[in-house]
Amino acid sequence: MLVFAGELGTGAQDASVRPEIFEKDVRPLIENYCLRCHSTAKQKGDLNLEQFASLAAVRKQPKIWQSVAEQLANKEMPPRDKPQPTSAERARLAQWVDAVLDEVALAHAGDPGPVVLRRLSNAEYTYTLRDLTGVESLDPAREFPVDGAAGEGFTNTGSALVMSPSLLVKYLDAAKEVASHAVLLPDGIRFSPETTRRDWTEEILAQIRAFYREFTDAGGGEKVKVTGTGMVNSDGGRIALEKYFAATLAERDALRGGSKTAQIVGRERGLNAKYLAALFAMLEAKEPSLLLDGIRERWRGAKPGEAAALAAEVARWQKALWKFGSVGHIGKVGGPRAWMEAVNPFATKQELRLKLPPSPDGQDVTIYLVASDAGDGNENDFVVWQQPRLVAKGRPDLLLRDVPAVSNELAGRFGRHPNGQPLDAASLGVRAPAVLAIHLPFDVAAGCEFVTSGTLDRATGAEGSVQLQVLTTKPEGVGLQAGTVETKPGAGSWGEPTVSISSPIIAAEGSAARKRIESAFEAFRQIFPAALCYTKIVPVDEVVTLTLFHREDEHLARLMLDDTQRRRLDRLWDELRYVSQDALTLVDVFEQIWQFSTQDGPNAPNGDKRLEPMREPINARAAAFKQRLVDTQPPHLDAVLDFANRAYRRPLTDAETTELRGLYRQLRAEELPHEEAIRLTLARVLVAPAFLYRLEKAAPGSESGPVSDSELATRLSYFLWSSAPDAELRTIADAGKLHEPDVLAAQTRRMLRDPRVRRLATEFACQWIHIRDFDHLDEKSERHFPTFIALRGAMYEESLRFFTDLFQHDGAVTDILDADYTFLNEPLAKHYGIPGVTGSEWRRVDGVKKFGRGGILGHATTLAKNSGASRTSPILRGNWIAEALLGDRLPKPPKDVPRLPEEENADTLTVRQLTEKHSSDPRCSGCHVRIDPFGFALEGFDSIGRKRDKDLANRSIDVKATLINGTPLDGLDGLRTYLLTTRRREFIDQFCRKLLGYALGRSVQLSDRPLLAEMRRVLETHNHRVTAAIETVVASRPFLQICGIQSIAEN
Amino acid sequence: MHTHQISRRTMLRGLGVTMALPWLESLRVWGDTPAATQKSSDAPVRLAVLFSGNGFHSKEWWAKGEGKQMELGKVLEPLADYRERMLLIRGLYNAEATKGNIHSSQTGNLLSGAPLASGGEIRSGTSIDQLLAQRYGRSTKVPSLVLGCEKSNPSVHKNYSMLYSSHISWSSPTTPTPLEIYPALAFDRLFKNGVQRGDKSVLDAVLADASDIRRQISKSDQRKLDEYLDSVRDVERRIEQAGKKGELQGWRPTLAKPNIPRPPDGIPQDIAEHMRLMADILVLGFQTDTTRITTLKLNNDHSSLRFPNLGVDYMIHHLLSHSDSADWLKVNRFFTEQITYIARKLDAIQEGERTLLDNTMLLFCSSMMTGNHNNDQLPVMLLGGGGGRIKGGRVLDYAGKPNRQMCRLFLSMMDKMNVHEKQFGDATSPLDEV
Repeated sequence: MLVFAGELGTGAQDASVRPEIFEKDVRPLIENYCLRCHSTAKQKGDLNLEQFASLAAVRKQPKIWQSVAEQLANKEMPPRDKPQPTSAERARLAQWVDAVLDEVALAHAGDPGPVVLRRLSNAEYTYTLRDLTGVESLDPAREFPVDGAAGEGFTNTGSALVMSPSLLVKYLDAAKEVASHAVLLPDGIRFSPETTRRDWTEEILAQIRAFYREFTDAGGGEKVKVTGTGMVNSDGGRIALEKYFAATLAERDALRGGSKTAQIVGRERGLNAKYLAALFAMLEAKEPSLLLDGIRERWRGAKPGEAAALAAEVARWQKALWKFGSVGHIGKVGGPRAWMEAVNPFATKQELRLKLPPSPDGQDVTIYLVASDAGDGNENDFVVWQQPRLVAKGRPDLLLRDVPAVSNELAGRFGRHPNGQPLDAASLGVRAPAVLAIHLPFDVAAGCEFVTSGTLDRATGAEGSVQLQVLTTKPEGVGLQAGTVETKPGAGSWGEPTVSISSPIIAAEGSAARKRIESAFEAFRQIFPAALCYTKIVPVDEVVTLTLFHREDEHLARLMLDDTQRRRLDRLWDELRYVSQDALTLVDVFEQIWQFSTQDGPNAPNGDKRLEPMREPINARAAAFKQRLVDTQPPHLDAVLDFANRAYRRPLTDAETTELRGLYRQLRAEELPHEEAIRLTLARVLVAPAFLYRLEKAAPGSESGPVSDSELATRLSYFLWSSAPDAELRTIADAGKLHEPDVLAAQTRRMLRDPRVRRLATEFACQWIHIRDFDHLDEKSERHFPTFIALRGAMYEESLRFFTDLFQHDGAVTDILDADYTFLNEPLAKHYGIPGVTGSEWRRVDGVKKFGRGGILGHATTLAKNSGASRTSPILRGNWIAEALLGDRLPKPPKDVPRLPEEENADTLTVRQLTEKHSSDPRCSGCHVRIDPFGFALEGFDSIGRKRDKDLANRSIDVKATLINGTPLDGLDGLRTYLLTTRRREFIDQFCRKLLGYALGRSVQLSDRPLLAEMRRVLETHNHRVTAAIETVVASRPFLQICGIQSIAEN
Repeated sequence: MHTHQISRRTMLRGLGVTMALPWLESLRVWGDTPAATQKSSDAPVRLAVLFSGNGFHSKEWWAKGEGKQMELGKVLEPLADYRERMLLIRGLYNAEATKGNIHSSQTGNLLSGAPLASGGEIRSGTSIDQLLAQRYGRSTKVPSLVLGCEKSNPSVHKNYSMLYSSHISWSSPTTPTPLEIYPALAFDRLFKNGVQRGDKSVLDAVLADASDIRRQISKSDQRKLDEYLDSVRDVERRIEQAGKKGELQGWRPTLAKPNIPRPPDGIPQDIAEHMRLMADILVLGFQTDTTRITTLKLNNDHSSLRFPNLGVDYMIHHLLSHSDSADWLKVNRFFTEQITYIARKLDAIQEGERTLLDNTMLLFCSSMMTGNHNNDQLPVMLLGGGGGRIKGGRVLDYAGKPNRQMCRLFLSMMDKMNVHEKQFGDATSPLDEV
């Protein structure tokens, strides 16, 4: 640690840095103790100290003297068997070297240093592509060779990021793979997790369905099998009527009084405000409406709990006034015009049939012939029930007139009009409204069907309107009754289904009465469509279809959507048509069906004539779509340019724009189709050096100078996010404002709060403490630790969340060791023996010190990573603390290390005893006394980070240790306290050094000393808040500047 | 006078650079007559380097006697059938590898003898396989295969990047050749005809980018960007070659197309399976003459492989190497068995009067003698006839002799492949006895 032990700020004035001191005090020491080996003649270890004849010469090669300082501090030199300087001499020499180094550091302070051109690391490449495309599942570097580390030990250091022909081929393949995720849209490009047109179509379908789902209820309909064509589906797209009625009932007064708007009620109840308002207005409206008046009246009298009944009433009418068809046959001659069509249940005459129920107890069977006045109260509605009769198989029909009991009951009514005129002798005449009750003896009725036809009598004139029903129970109401519409299979495989109506209204075609009722129906349908939209979009359960996607959502748009929502829906549909290319597919579909119909259809072998009218429109649509594809080509190329602009992390030059357009044209000239040429141009962008490398223009001349705002944005975003700048950062950089200190600091803080800072946790923090990719650690014995593989992902997640939280919420650097909290889910908490954490979701858990955890020293990641496959290793753990956490420079191990036994229970000694034995070897003890005690203090954790007080061979664990200077340590708590007090300075320095090295992408060098001192100072005055250190780095000259093009690397 | 030391280093480094450059200018197209003088009817000599990290059992890597009478230590025993084709070479060492740290500076220059840079820098020397690939590999579709069975280690250890521990093959002093560890992708590299419409235009375009950019960046950035430029050029050249029919005169490989299926995607869970697949690909590359030079790094120096397949799962390779246990020996022999497997396959392929093993130089070596990090001599074994130019069944012992540089062996091996260098690494003359 001596390298950075010197306090700064005084170096230049240090009295020891004077030529005469060097001559008088220093050179003699060097001559005495060093030059025997490190002379110009001998140069042992390639080191020549004789060349330093003057202080000026020393200043020119500080690197050599850094190494001298280290070796002195470690007492590696002079070698043990050579004459040793006194401790006073050693101290004098060390102090002098340090003072010179300080002076040199200050003279070069702020030097950006030699930063080797950086290829994006595999991680950066992956994050960048995910951010550029918005597709999180992309993993294009999954089979790339692992990146190496250099500099301060990070994989973002240029010299370790190589390129080779085989790697370049991988980049090209990966670029093509990414480009295969591009979806061409009418006005640009987006990226999808998927790579096939079918999947992209499904994505848009899912979006449209999700859109519909937001406004509608599922269910509500039924499936009807239709011979030949498959099923008619009428479910989905429903209005949640009960909820809307409930809202109008519960909030009736608030809405009336204006204390709540429909907006507020809608928001409170998750209902569409626009529809709610329309419904409420309808319910409150005064103008009379034949159908709606009944609903209004019922609503006015209803209590809040009666919403369901109201909804049911509406549903009955919806069933009567709408019918559903199979969407796959829309457009065919005689086929449906829409999925949902309006029905006006009118007839001029109607046959009514009723299967008579058995009468087990020998009672008469009563039937009611109901002729209502269709709710309009017309005075002279005369109805004729024609030839009411009983029909049964295998015998002639029996007219009711000929059933004695009936003719007695209805004496004189057969064959006579209520107005006195004669009538067919077997028929009955009534004035509506009228209910005729007929009692049939059970023996006569048994097994029969009752059949009659109802019609308006001619005498009624044109304005009559009645509704007829035959019932077995006495009718209750007298107004209009909702009947049902039934779809029945047609004949043959090509037959059309027929629709029958159960309770039609008998009214003359074109009569005013009929129009009046029709408009009442229409008013109802306007506010209560049976479905708002066809939510399935595609034909479902149909045998043959002439439609790929069916859009029917006018009611939804009219009743619920605002302009923005409508535009969004239109856009989705447009994308669906564009991406699916259904206009082109339909040409083939039609041709196939046509061919099919020449074999099987009603007009075979000449084809189904009913299809013929569709041919032209289908062809015309396809032609128009082809033209559209051509017209929309330019936006795709524009989108590629825009993508390149983001991928290159700076505005494109004119030359680049021209070249990219040129490449596209070139590829088209090579007869690649448009879409392929676009993809390949995208791929070209993704193998371009401007994308793969973090290119920066060198400052002119030999002096360093500021990087451009774009380059600074890139430095910042790769530092904090391991990825390209986002839109905000780019905008600020493009406006040339990023270099302004306040703006830069504000962006830094904004970016630190962003979830993407998890990447700083991964790439910086986890790499610093050697646990990156812990979730793939494959170094544990399955035999000893069968649970490890299942837990390693959770262990890694804990550390990742810990550091992400630290950066995102501006934690203290000291929290890394001292935090009394961590992040756990149930499996990991169980592993740790921490109670009260249930469920697989992650959460912050406070107060973990009382369970023997706290800080990263208690994380399973660090404990397991620094252990063997089956046993713990105090040496690995201790060495990790010394080197990774404290930055201690330990001498290299000797080249003949003694052996350790393999398995923890294979020997009579504990791991600790073995280690102590091993370390007592004089060749080893010099270092081991410095590292082993740290490891001993952590022996209370096993090889995968579980607490233990016995080892695998059931021997007691001893976690007490004594440091080389006599300081006692007791377990994790003792170790932590020691690190946070006695060694806090080294820990903080190490954090700063690693952070700076990571941020700059190079080794920390001598000229960084003042900056590191500044980072330490700022941390001390900001309660060690991590943001303070990060902001200091970002505002520093090395971060803001680049070396001059002619400068020679010196450091 | 003070600059003597520096100039020696500079010269060595400079050498690495000049060695890397010529191939860029002297491009030969696949199918052109190789410059190497060689009877066109003779099968070419192939080079395979197999590396295993962390050394071997301290008492069981040895051979005594000659020819059929040769006795082998337990580590080498699996190769008994091939003892007459074996040259066991004792006492060679790589001086530069003894200077730095343990592990992280013991491997990266094994095949070049170059000094390794520390302090966050990465610099070694162009390795023998890549030098030969650049000179000799031009005459095949793939100049060289660089394979591995363990991912490289992304960290820095005592000032040296662990890249050094993970890479024996270096295509330039600053470029450790990226390793292929996926068997399927290694197979594709040999046999997939990956050229697609438009590729050439795309590569032309990015090459132009790089050339433009090159003018605006610093010298050191230019050097880094040149890795990219050279790679693009290389791929372009391959695309051009793919359009041409290779019209080799005289000798033809005995196999035109792969006779084994493409391995499944991904990395096999079982290390034995992984090594076996890579060995198959190595043999196939030679047999089809798709490449003549392959390095296969069986594991890293400082390896963390475990061997559940051998019942040795309680300790990683690196820590096992710190013992002389029976399990360590078992693991050593497992590695030797991989060499035996390759030798057996090569020997079963007849190329005229000789077998493919006769036409191959198979070098098996490690970064240290034993797991104790001692590399004042290295375990080195050369198998195969080198095209009838190497007499096997011998033990050569250079221990205690002067000029026992590993690089002298490399000069000898280059000779067998008709590449005659005056100097390589720290050596200026070949080993006469090889």
